[in-house]
Amino acid sequence: MVRLITHNLLACHARGCTSNNFPLRFSDAQIETRKADFNADFIRAFMPKLEWSALVDAAKQLGDTSLPLEAPDMLDEEFLKNLHRVLLEIHIEEGSMTCPNCNHRYPISNGIPNMLLAEDEIA
Amino acid sequence: MSHQYLIVFAQAHNEFRLPELSSVSELHGFTYTLADGSDPQRPFMVIHLASEEHARLLARRCILIKAIYQFYGQGSTYKELHEANRANRALWESYIPKTSFKFIVTAYNHSIPQRRQREVIESFAYMDFLGKIDMNDPEILLGCFEEYPDKHGTTRVKHEGDGSFLQVYFGKLIEEGSARQLIGQFDVKKRVYYGNTSMESEISLLMTNQTLAAPGKLIYDPFMGTGSMAYPAAYFGAFVFGSDIDGRQMRGKGKPPGIIRAAKQYGVAARILDLCTFDVTQNPWRCGELFDAIVTDPPYGVRAGAKRLGRKRELSPERRAKYLEHRKSPRPDDQPYIPPTKPYELSALAADLVILARYLLKPGGRLVFFLPTVMDDYQEVDINSMMCSGMELIANSLQDFGSWGRRLVTIRKTSTVKYPPPSFSPEEAVTSEHVPAHKDFREKYFRGFRTDAPHDNYETAGSVPHYPIHD
Ligand SMILES: C[S@@+](CC[C@H](N)C(=O)[O-])C[C@H]1O[C@@H](n2cnc3c(N)ncnc32)[C@H](O)[C@@H]1O
Repeated sequence: MVRLITHNLLACHARGCTSNNFPLRFSDAQIETRKADFNADFIRAFMPKLEWSALVDAAKQLGDTSLPLEAPDMLDEEFLKNLHRVLLEIHIEEGSMTCPNCNHRYPISNGIPNMLLAEDEIA
Repeated sequence: MSHQYLIVFAQAHNEFRLPELSSVSELHGFTYTLADGSDPQRPFMVIHLASEEHARLLARRCILIKAIYQFYGQGSTYKELHEANRANRALWESYIPKTSFKFIVTAYNHSIPQRRQREVIESFAYMDFLGKIDMNDPEILLGCFEEYPDKHGTTRVKHEGDGSFLQVYFGKLIEEGSARQLIGQFDVKKRVYYGNTSMESEISLLMTNQTLAAPGKLIYDPFMGTGSMAYPAAYFGAFVFGSDIDGRQMRGKGKPPGIIRAAKQYGVAARILDLCTFDVTQNPWRCGELFDAIVTDPPYGVRAGAKRLGRKRELSPERRAKYLEHRKSPRPDDQPYIPPTKPYELSALAADLVILARYLLKPGGRLVFFLPTVMDDYQEVDINSMMCSGMELIANSLQDFGSWGRRLVTIRKTSTVKYPPPSFSPEEAVTSEHVPAHKDFREKYFRGFRTDAPHDNYETAGSVPHYPIHD
């Protein structure tokens, strides 16, 4: 847990932090990989929701450089399987995610990120 | 050509029957219609379906179905039933020459003496079935069901009133309901991780069926707690995302987190996509239109008040400055920071939830949630007043606990418009003149739903009623 699919959907939401607040940067990430069921339709349908370059960067930060820099137009089985692996099978168990804009640090413990804001950060 | 089928329902949650039938048929892409005079409050219901396969799909997924029969006839007397059954000869004549069969005669709200069971079976002699009777492994099973009025609260000696049924039904078994056994499979007491907010398994399963959970779908519970609805949703193949303001609810003690341990027990851990700690009113979602369904049991605020980040009373400027100073200085202990929270009133929360769902659901997606309410004061407009454009109410089923109840509300996002994220600010709330019965539910609950009891001191409100409530 914290899979890259989730990371791709989370932005910093501290008060006033509305631009350059995504993607969050990983630090001290401890990674585990675990198999997940492959569902080609799910992955294909999710593609339009992804911020592709954020995903490529996040994977690279974790040492995975298998994704093309540009999302391909042709989604063949091999590509979908690899995307599935990157999105759903890499888990960040410990570490933290930091906002590139306001530097808020969201800690990850036991695979669960703490996205709670402090009192002075809520809208 | 459509055929008629007789559904034998489990005796519970009457108001959930039709919504469940509709959801499961929509999930599989077919429709059903009620036969004339069918009453969903009664335990036997006749419906039209285009094919037997549809009947089987319903029997495999509907939690409230005990069995589905091909319908041969009904009547308020056996004379009427036999006439109807004779008229439907085409449905059963192919079984006459050599099909082995078994015949059962049972009743709802009654037990039929053996002797009369035999008489009933003999009264069908005109069907002339020549195959052998096989009690263990028959090719077909014929069922005859007598429905008696509810004798709740009265005592009758066994067999009293025998024969004075309301209606009798007859048909051939298509399939026993196989989804009902999931109630035992997901039993909370047998789960390796649960808490005092866990939802009983039958209701969790009914909620899950309202979401149309299926492989490849993405489902979200923003008040995840111990994850009761996540397990059946993942079991039906969906990916589930959960969040909660209180990480301890999802985690429990020990590793991995409690929800993951329970999901492993059911073999669905790979489909719990992620768990996140945050206040849903201060959420980090980067964009909307993400989920096929949102299913949740929001905090009613009875045990611990429903809450959101903030303070009940703002700090004075001096105290606030001091506080922030203190927050900035590095702390010697490694205690996680726990932000202050303020109460979150239920009617505001419910209205916010609908607007949040409109933002986060894909077009056509569903919001399924429980709304507790005060029985005597509830009005339909309570639900209508929290709706907003682009969202349509498709089901509203009551679970009745006496003076209070809870309504399982299913709402569909009908619009394809992109909506902005909700502000969650009380100032911008859709205010309606109407005060719904679920407003200030917590206070009303502790007053025992009386209007004369003191408002502000729970201790003097008498003993707290022992309903199966949780928050
Ligand atoms: C009725 S419980 C849900 C129980 C859950 N269905 C289960 O199976 O355990 C409500 C949950 O909402 C959480 N909660 C309360 N206020 C919240 C908020 N503002 N944002 C997110 N979660 C909140 C509580 O911590 C609690 O776990």
